[in-house]
Amino acid sequence: MDQIETGSGSVLREYGSEQNLLSKPDGSATFLQGDTSVLAGVYGPAEVKVNKEIYDRATLEVVVQPKVGMSSVRERAREQCVRETCEAVLLSTLHPRSSLTLILQVVHDDGSLLSCCLNAACMALMDAGLPMGRLFCGVTCAIDSDSQIITDPTAQQERESRALMTFAIDSKERNVLMSSTKGSFSVKELQQCIALSQKASEKIFQFYRDSVKRRYSKIL
Amino acid sequence: MKETPLSACERTFLLKAVEEKKRLDGRQTYDYRNIRITFGTDYGCCTVSLGKTRVLAQVSCELVPPKDSRPTEGIVFFNLELSPMASPAFQPNRQSELLVTLNRQLERCLRNSKCIDTESLCVVSGEKVWQIRVDVHVLNHDGNLMDAASIAAISALSHFRRPDVAIQGRDITIFSPEERDPVALSIYHMPICVSFAFFQQGTYLLVDPCEKEEQVTDGLLVIAMNKHREICSIQSSGGIMLLKDQVLRCSKIASVKVSEITDLINKALENDKRVRKEGGRFGFAESMPKERITALKRDEAPVEMTGVQEMAEEFLSKGEAAPEVVSSPVIVATGTGQLGEGVQSTWGLEEEDEEDECQGEMDKEEKKKKKAEKDEVMVISDSEEEEVVVLNPEAPKSKGKRPKH
Amino acid sequence: MAGLELLSDQGYRLDGRRAAELRKLQARMGVFAQADGSAYLEQGNTKALAVVYGPHEVRGSRSRTLHDRAVINCQYSMATFSTAERKRRPHGDRKSSEMSLHLKQTFEAAVLTQLYPRSQIDIYVKILQSDGGNYSACVNAATLALVDAGIPMRDYVCACTAGFVEDTPLADLCHAEESGGGTTLALALLPRSESIALVQMDARLHQDHLDPLMEAAMTACKGLSKVLDSVVRQHLQEVSVQTRE
Repeated sequence: MDQIETGSGSVLREYGSEQNLLSKPDGSATFLQGDTSVLAGVYGPAEVKVNKEIYDRATLEVVVQPKVGMSSVRERAREQCVRETCEAVLLSTLHPRSSLTLILQVVHDDGSLLSCCLNAACMALMDAGLPMGRLFCGVTCAIDSDSQIITDPTAQQERESRALMTFAIDSKERNVLMSSTKGSFSVKELQQCIALSQKASEKIFQFYRDSVKRRYSKIL
Repeated sequence: MKETPLSACERTFLLKAVEEKKRLDGRQTYDYRNIRITFGTDYGCCTVSLGKTRVLAQVSCELVPPKDSRPTEGIVFFNLELSPMASPAFQPNRQSELLVTLNRQLERCLRNSKCIDTESLCVVSGEKVWQIRVDVHVLNHDGNLMDAASIAAISALSHFRRPDVAIQGRDITIFSPEERDPVALSIYHMPICVSFAFFQQGTYLLVDPCEKEEQVTDGLLVIAMNKHREICSIQSSGGIMLLKDQVLRCSKIASVKVSEITDLINKALENDKRVRKEGGRFGFAESMPKERITALKRDEAPVEMTGVQEMAEEFLSKGEAAPEVVSSPVIVATGTGQLGEGVQSTWGLEEEDEEDECQGEMDKEEKKKKKAEKDEVMVISDSEEEEVVVLNPEAPKSKGKRPKH
Repeated sequence: MAGLELLSDQGYRLDGRRAAELRKLQARMGVFAQADGSAYLEQGNTKALAVVYGPHEVRGSRSRTLHDRAVINCQYSMATFSTAERKRRPHGDRKSSEMSLHLKQTFEAAVLTQLYPRSQIDIYVKILQSDGGNYSACVNAATLALVDAGIPMRDYVCACTAGFVEDTPLADLCHAEESGGGTTLALALLPRSESIALVQMDARLHQDHLDPLMEAAMTACKGLSKVLDSVVRQHLQEVSVQTRE
């Protein structure tokens, strides 16, 4: 499997986002990737419970709410992935003894759910104005049975794939902040997917820049 | 997190405004806020915005054995959840009074009024029936959650399509949406809740209170009606004293409001059906407002593939070669074996000092880091060297590096 | 239920009552010596037991203390043997929580809580046998228990259920009539001021029928209040005779 075809399967589906759509949370955003849609809300910095407080930094709590049923281990795993990414970029030492709460609600799942959650989380954190060292974005790659790499797969493509990987890429140096993989793949395929995700992330970061520019166009 | 408490001057201001028949957002006493209903891509998913209050409802179904007391009827299950996103006061997985009230009211409004034909949900009597599950998530709390939740629930139920089944003797075949068109639920009528807030011991009332108005209210009266002027449920809460003609007056107002809202729901359902039939785009993606300054959309974009292959090969060449796979465990001493790579063992058995340290595929920086870790481990164990502990009387005496537990 | 006529042609119901007739009400106060107030009430076949403790210091979470009023704490539960099938979860499920909330709201409206700031009044109600009208039996029993405890109230709180069959309102429904699928209205009333502390209705009813239904329920409540009043006076007579001796 040395020669991996990276052909026409690598497109990013139509994506869009809306910020500041909820009045109660300090920051909120919804991110759409094709039909997958996630709504994120951020509260913070706010009062923290004594048993959870950390003396020199803010406590970050992430909650992922599924659409149907109670939250289970799968949601906990996603929460862990998102939390570790956010903790790496947030300047939490600026708000000691406070709590930052990030709530993600799955509105529709049509593949690439974890990367959609990451993107929504980043936009919500931006909307809340929380200080971050760099931005991050999520990209999902799937390797299907013909060893084709597909970025941003739909649920159907995810089901038929041999391996599924999600990477959180940061904006400064395009480093990988978090990776979550499923299935079997070779080392070479992994590196190719990482390189591909880094290329794809450029588009998403440009999108962040454009939406913020548009949002503040009347003020600046 | 705690909710911001309402100050005393805000409270007096709101009460005085109610006395003068004025509301914070300029509405009249009997006016509803703007209601917006949007449907998602799959059947049974609906978002309702009542002013700033936002609620998401999803209907799903599965085949289950029926209840013993009713073997020929399907089961309808309601679950309302207050998402922590909706208000800082909502904690996940906490049974608060508000949650119990909303859940029970939703159940009574929709289940006891028999708006869904549960007999038609029966597949095999006594063995398999459809269980319809309605999940309602409150996304933003700006007052009047009950009305928004009931509108969302009934719209989602009207929008939902369950898979078609065919029964042949004892075999049940469930058709997927591609094989056969899914079937809509049979809904007799649409009960909708209307909330009335009472102030100053029942002297003044408001329809559709917003959150600030809810915090100063004495009590709430919820009347669920359908457009045929049938009352489906009445519930008064809070410690208010009502008079009979107040209740009757409220029911008259409610009937007017309910018919308006039912028309709105039907229009939204028609729109969605038309768009789906014409093959146009539907779903939440389409309903996102494009003209807003806070919203932005991009079309499908291909990812540049040039240079990916080269980048990948560059990474691979920079890294170390993969280790030879250790096929069998390496025996270090009697009773201990080593399988795979890892840091230096601190059990103090001197034989494995010269053991080949398999590095694995790591960059140079990580190798250095691992070495440093190893050194630190050695240092720690050295400083802990207090007494010699013999693991095994027959084995050679250890250097005493066993860390204290 | 097919074949079960809730109202026959002669105007008789399933248990032989007329449309506006109430079930037999029997009550006893002061059944528990250790509680501050207690009462046992039978409304037809529905049996309810209410116990009141208070006013006393707020127990448990201090944060619930109100600086200007007393906090009323209610708990509703059903005995596992009270229904035809053994009840698996007597309390803690959603229906019981909702009932407890409703009872609390009813009595917050009726009890003069301003006289006892920073205190707590506990009302515990248990249904020993359930034959329709659970909520009303609880309210009536709790009223008597509060009177027994000597806690000042605005008025007796009387509750009754009413139903609607073939354009005739029925008062005080039994279990078969409630679960028959018709309308059930539960009303808690303060008879002298005719103010409604709680109104609760399930199942479909046409709007024009609401007025006669509520009227029937209110008349039934007023009749109940007379019975409760006589029970209280009788109990007082017995107690005063005992103390005099």
